[in-house]
Amino acid sequence: MTMELFVVFLASSIRLAVPLLFAATGEYVSERAGVVNMSVEGMMLTGAFGGALGAAMTGSPFVGLLFAVVFVLPIALLQSVLTNTLRANQVVTGIGINILVLGLTTLGYRQFFGNRSREMITGFNAWSPPLLGDLPVIGPIFHQAGLAYLAVAIIIALAWFISRTGVGVALRAAGEDPHAVAISGVPVIALRHGAVLFTGLMAALGGAFLSIAEIHTFTEGMTRGAGYLAIVAVIFGNWRIWRIVLACLLFGAATALQFQLPAIGVQLPNALLIMMPYLLALLAVAGLVGRQIAPRALAQPFWK
Amino acid sequence: MTDIPQHPPVIRSAVYKDMFGRIAIPIIAVVAAFLVGLIAVMAMGVSLERAISAFINGAFGSAYSISASLNRSVSLALVGIGFVIAARAGLTNVGGEGQIAMGGVFATALCLAPGMAELPFGLSFIIPLVGGAIAGGVWGAIAGFLKVRAGANEVITTLLLSFIAIWLLYWSVQSENLLRQPMTSSATLPESLSIPASTQVPLLTGSYASPVTWGLPLTIVIAIAAAIILSRSVFGFNLKAIGFNPVAAARAGIAVGAGVVTALFVAGALGGLAGAVMLQGEQYSLKAGFCSNYGFDGLVVGLLARNSITGVIAGALLFGFMRSGGISMEMMASVPSALVGIIQGMIVVSIAGAAYFLDRGSAR
Repeated sequence: MTMELFVVFLASSIRLAVPLLFAATGEYVSERAGVVNMSVEGMMLTGAFGGALGAAMTGSPFVGLLFAVVFVLPIALLQSVLTNTLRANQVVTGIGINILVLGLTTLGYRQFFGNRSREMITGFNAWSPPLLGDLPVIGPIFHQAGLAYLAVAIIIALAWFISRTGVGVALRAAGEDPHAVAISGVPVIALRHGAVLFTGLMAALGGAFLSIAEIHTFTEGMTRGAGYLAIVAVIFGNWRIWRIVLACLLFGAATALQFQLPAIGVQLPNALLIMMPYLLALLAVAGLVGRQIAPRALAQPFWK
Repeated sequence: MTDIPQHPPVIRSAVYKDMFGRIAIPIIAVVAAFLVGLIAVMAMGVSLERAISAFINGAFGSAYSISASLNRSVSLALVGIGFVIAARAGLTNVGGEGQIAMGGVFATALCLAPGMAELPFGLSFIIPLVGGAIAGGVWGAIAGFLKVRAGANEVITTLLLSFIAIWLLYWSVQSENLLRQPMTSSATLPESLSIPASTQVPLLTGSYASPVTWGLPLTIVIAIAAAIILSRSVFGFNLKAIGFNPVAAARAGIAVGAGVVTALFVAGALGGLAGAVMLQGEQYSLKAGFCSNYGFDGLVVGLLARNSITGVIAGALLFGFMRSGGISMEMMASVPSALVGIIQGMIVVSIAGAAYFLDRGSAR
């Protein structure tokens, strides 16, 4: 592989990893607080739909982002009320919400876009930051949509917040021993509500990235399991934020390889590359790649 | 800190409340979701009468549509029964979709194997059915093995195995070395050859006007057997003990590990059988979109049944007939079948949420 091709490969790996980075770091926060959201898939899909709709109606991708967040928050709130207030089974409600949202966005898409489906939506264009973008050879790697840089900023802030602030510590404790947290006077349920809403916000950005910064249109069920892949990244990243970031980049690279390998004459079945993240995660939880330590109270409803 | 209650407070668990929960809540949820669906149809400006008659026609309008709906219910019921069996041991099998895929792939391979079509006494279709079930079972048992050996959560592993299976299915219909039909032109579709007639599951009536297959009586027998095994057999009792408290079960001399693996094998085998029946009874050739969400819908059916086989049958019939009705509504009244998804989603979410008002009164 020439250097030039390799740089193209790195750039597209990062571009493909961005939606996962948003959704996986969002899901990371929830899972550290003890809540699994299978509905990340549906939240991303709603974000993609809202983003496309807002951008198509106004011509402004920023309005698209706003729509994405506004559309996803009720979904996240529904998930949060079901799992935290009503203590419903987290897997069931998540899958139920995904079925619901797939129907809603498909219906909405037919109503609002109809025949205009082939039209490209005004979206975010890739942008090269000064200095970094001018670097020789590796400059093109930094040619990304602005949202990618937003993701980096949020992740750095989040890593600090989770490890260094009182709320961050309480949040992690809520996923390990919620009863101890409750006894120390911290409202566990409120923390978990906040965590799920944050997941919704991040999934909305990730979904919107797909529709308005990458593909520039909406198609029915366009996330195609990206939300589940984000959950897989959290598992493979062993519930540690920097490992999750690496997992997302690895999964992005595996996707990018599908397009790169044929270019350099390597014939490998596509399916094998798409399957790779799931296979790696399975090996990880099977204990073949290090030890997995999930939050102890993960997916358990909290009863006082 | 050992005195902190880990379970919801036991208030009272009156029998009438349980009856209400098991029967009334699902009915209320279904009716309410359908009402919302009707409002959505009106909002879209489609005549209610047209939409409803298209739905009813598609679901029960003719011998053909009833048969198609029943065939759909069969797949959902098999996955749902498997889910309930695993749930009895406290295991959540999220892998139905992948187990169906593995069942379909292996059933196809066996149906197309040289000499299979010539086998006598119906073996030509029974062997692929059994093979598909075993393939799905092994796929489920892997999750059980990982749980026993590495303590891996089966929700995670069955979900991961599901995605792996779906891409194995995709691979097997994309590659000529596997199951893809020989490529004679660039227009050759990425799917397997059609399976020979003798490997197809026979139709009950023998006529394509009412194509309900022998999968239906088979499923009824399996449902009855499952209900008896769960409530009357030692195996059923052991599963219940494992689900209730695995540590206590082990102390009592129950082989917990073997029970976990067996429960997930059985759940997976029923998923695999559903896949084999779908392939040999309906689709006849393997395509990438083969599973079409039956695994996830079957999981939902199992979940909503709250551990009852009767509940699974009711849910499978409801969802099976709804699928048929939705498809017809899209074709005849141009109401997107996505509406059925919305209704199903609302049913799932409201029943799952309503569990709170039941569980609050009894220790789950």
